[in-house]
Amino acid sequence: MKSVHLIAKAILLLGLLTPVKADDHWAYQPIQPPAIPETNSKNPIDAFVFAKLGEANLKPSPEAPPHILLRRAHLDLTGLPPSPEEMTAFQEAWKINSKNAWTDKVDTLLASPHFGEQWAKHWLDIARYAESDGYLGDTLRHWAWIYRDWVIDSINRDQPYDQFSIEQLAGDLLPKPSQSQKIATGFHRNNLKNTEAGLDKELARTKQVVNRTATTGTAWLGLTLACAECHDHKHDAISHREFFEFYAFFNNTKDSDISVTLDKEWPITTIEKKKDQKELPKPTPKAQALAALPEIELRKTHVHVRGDYTRHGEEVSPATPAALHPLTIEEKEPARLALAKWLFAEDNPITPRVAANQIWQQLFGTGIVSTSDDFGTHGAPPTHPELLDWLALEFRDSGWSRKKLIRSIVTSSTYKQSSTNTFKDRPNELLWRQNSVRVKAETVRDIHLVASGLFTPTVGGPSVHPPLPKFVSEVGRSVKWPESIGPNRYRRGMYIFLKRTVLYPMLTAFDAPDTSASCSRREVTNTPMQALTLLNDPVFFECADTLGKELHLKHGDKTDEAIAETFRRCLNREPNPGEMATLSSAHYDLLDEAKNPELAMIATTRIIMNLNEFITRD
Amino acid sequence: MASRRRFLSSGIGSLALASMLRDDGLLADNSFQAPHFAPKAKRCIYLFMEGGPSQMDLFDPKPKLNEMDGEAMPESLLEGVKFAFTEKESARLLGSPRTFKKYGQCGMDMSDLVPHLSDHADDIAMIRSMYCDQFNHLPGQLLMLTGSPFRGSPTLGSWLNYGLGSSSKDLPGYVAMTTLGRGLPGGAASWSSGYLPSSYSGALFRNEGSPVLNLANPDKISPEMQRRTIEAVNDLNQQRFSETVNPEIASRIKNYELAYRMQSAAPELIDLSDETEATKEAYGLNRQDKTGFQASYARNCLLARRLVERGTRFVTLFLSTWDQHSKLDSELTKNTQISDQPVAALLQDLKDRGLLDETLVVWGGEFGRTPLGENRSGFKTVTGRDHHPYSFSMWMAGGGIKGGQTLGSTDEIGWGVEKDPVHIHDLHATILHLFGFDHEELTYRFQGRDFRLTDVHGKVVKKLLA
Repeated sequence: MKSVHLIAKAILLLGLLTPVKADDHWAYQPIQPPAIPETNSKNPIDAFVFAKLGEANLKPSPEAPPHILLRRAHLDLTGLPPSPEEMTAFQEAWKINSKNAWTDKVDTLLASPHFGEQWAKHWLDIARYAESDGYLGDTLRHWAWIYRDWVIDSINRDQPYDQFSIEQLAGDLLPKPSQSQKIATGFHRNNLKNTEAGLDKELARTKQVVNRTATTGTAWLGLTLACAECHDHKHDAISHREFFEFYAFFNNTKDSDISVTLDKEWPITTIEKKKDQKELPKPTPKAQALAALPEIELRKTHVHVRGDYTRHGEEVSPATPAALHPLTIEEKEPARLALAKWLFAEDNPITPRVAANQIWQQLFGTGIVSTSDDFGTHGAPPTHPELLDWLALEFRDSGWSRKKLIRSIVTSSTYKQSSTNTFKDRPNELLWRQNSVRVKAETVRDIHLVASGLFTPTVGGPSVHPPLPKFVSEVGRSVKWPESIGPNRYRRGMYIFLKRTVLYPMLTAFDAPDTSASCSRREVTNTPMQALTLLNDPVFFECADTLGKELHLKHGDKTDEAIAETFRRCLNREPNPGEMATLSSAHYDLLDEAKNPELAMIATTRIIMNLNEFITRD
Repeated sequence: MASRRRFLSSGIGSLALASMLRDDGLLADNSFQAPHFAPKAKRCIYLFMEGGPSQMDLFDPKPKLNEMDGEAMPESLLEGVKFAFTEKESARLLGSPRTFKKYGQCGMDMSDLVPHLSDHADDIAMIRSMYCDQFNHLPGQLLMLTGSPFRGSPTLGSWLNYGLGSSSKDLPGYVAMTTLGRGLPGGAASWSSGYLPSSYSGALFRNEGSPVLNLANPDKISPEMQRRTIEAVNDLNQQRFSETVNPEIASRIKNYELAYRMQSAAPELIDLSDETEATKEAYGLNRQDKTGFQASYARNCLLARRLVERGTRFVTLFLSTWDQHSKLDSELTKNTQISDQPVAALLQDLKDRGLLDETLVVWGGEFGRTPLGENRSGFKTVTGRDHHPYSFSMWMAGGGIKGGQTLGSTDEIGWGVEKDPVHIHDLHATILHLFGFDHEELTYRFQGRDFRLTDVHGKVVKKLLA
């Protein structure tokens, strides 16, 4: 290890002699419309991917069968699996005209209200969205969901990505900002906030500004700005001084709670009631949204020497890093608004690349740049640079329509390839197949709820509190977990109240981020805790119990029919003979042990709900 | 029926599959970093005293402070000092009512509050010169637990499991247990893996009932049904694997086996029926108080030993709270009544079983307490001390630590460190060193930068090493 360190030092020294200039870095180069390779494919995405495969003497995989494709599209676009009825209808349509069946289905899913939920979830990770402050008191943010619902709604109406972004960064500075534009600024209210008694308030404030600066860098520029808070890093695009020039854009906002009128009055049952809980808000139409508005008295910004805010370096004004395209601030234009618009300037190559990559990552499990949060010199290079540029231009030229870009990707043959790993030692960077992806934490829950029939599809509104054992919910200091009752227990995973000191253990077990920092790429782990959760979590058992009972009632001792229907409900396919034999034999043993046909069916359903395939998008 | 036997008898079915896959290279063994040099410590029990224990009432006697009780503090010391609550102009020094004696061959100072621990003076390295730069609880605790005062970084236990892996086949490599008064300021952040993968985060154990969340089968499912279920799950996953060759399936199969083993290992862990009455007596398991904290903490200490004995790499026991802004005497007495006997018993037990040599035991909070009495507005009388990051005491034992020494010293009223200052980063560098890691080399790449436990700081405290 030591020797590696020495070599690294030597390289650094060499680097000083022959500097690698950050402005030579690929990500900052202008986007030229790439030439589409000549292939048999009409679809440009396929042309780029298949040409590369050809160069490596590889062939794309065949198209996945329709049942896999439908489940894939449902899970990717809405985060919910299809019902057996949807499957039957789709397969009928597929037989008549597979191409039309596919595009019709894609359009239907893009128009589903659940589309906005699924894609909001990705954005909320980036926005480090949570519903509490996160430090000692972990004060609850009862109205944070108004911002969350704004994101869902914006995505559902396909608000252009530039407007979506500008409103979140500077909605308050737009001419005569609407209520919705002010709600959007809740983006930068999502950061951690320390309110512990006796704390250094200015330190806490500067750390919030640092977080806003870093989050903006990750979300729109794929820049790891936070590294430059303390000092310069060789080879990085951003100097220490530039960090604080960027910081200056966010140094004059004030956290303000604004009164808003909701379109819909949320029924009292959706807000948890408990007598001893004074802190819960009344669900009146006069809600309080969290917004970040301009400060009245402007604060000067200085460089913080070695990241220490008490050590003022030179005074700086808002400016963007020199390695990136230039920013001109019009007279009287607020700096933060100018910054937001600068992200979407014609000569900015990086924001469209980062955005297109984020979308690609959600549809293939990994990005064209695998380090989707880092487009800097330390990040991974793109596997398909021309394709990335084509997507970036496509996104921008379509008027930043998320739905159009997603549509063009999911209608490509590249997307529709089988994920079967026919050549097990062959890496898949070149995309000779689709990837099999373990679904996200929230989707693990949603799939269970939908398959069991317990699912409550309500979109938006106050978050819910599914049951938690006290030893988990009461580790923090100010914690009450008012258990949800009725249909609210069966809402989607994304509506589980996100309290930073009491993260919902099932979601954490499946790699939901802890919301301290912006997260554009979740880890995917595979652990024994996940197995225990799938086997024994009371919510998941309730799902198996409910479905098992239903199928037992319907099919009685026709076990094979019950098993086949469980397969259709959970995996969207028929069992093959080997699987049927294994399950029949298991059912036989379970019945022998349980001496109760209903329970034996429940236990058999539980087997199917524990299969890797159930929580995998193939 | 044959299938039943297959799984039960020796686990040939799926277990064989797992090893077959491993041989095939499809199921990579976790590729941990190799230690940089031979480790002295293999396991750690961290006794985290949440809230900031008062050093001058436990381990750092200050006769001069007692003499000056009620006097103002020298002004020179107050310059530029921040307090959480104390009003510095009118604050007065507060002496300690405790009596101190010297213990062991080394003659270590300990107060009357820790009569059991004092038997172990010769095993302990007492550090009187700890200091840090955080005077609020959560930033201080995060700094102590993760090396950063802000949320989002991995805890020490996560780093060690990332570096070394767990040496237990059927229990988590990192376990946290709590005895809580007011709750933990950081909640689950206190054992979080931060930016490391979540598989390195601590598992929260309960010391009774079902120790791990989701460990117990649902009520209707008998152990035999559970066994048959897992067998069928793995069998079907195996069939799917042969079709799709998705390597995740191979890991999934392995993890269902681990989960199954954990289901029997964890209840066995907390079943204390194989412990002798003498052991239970020594830990103080049968002590009774109104809150039940005495028995609970004793049980946690005993479970910590059982965990490390079974290969768990890192155990943190949280005891909350030592935050005595008021009623210092009675509350500190209460805390030491809860913890002194079990902690001493733990050291003795580890020693008796030959585990102490390779088990590092760490005792401490996030900071210390002021020599000044706390006079925050609204307090009628001064009965406690405020947060004090400028000097505090911690101790370590076992695992390559040179016991029987008192490292460092504070000035005569116990305000600042006078000799051998040890910052939290230095403590972390030293702990990693004991586990065979150069703290500058154990890194993880996140958001474009290689992060480490000690950030850009930390020096190994050589005097602490055996």
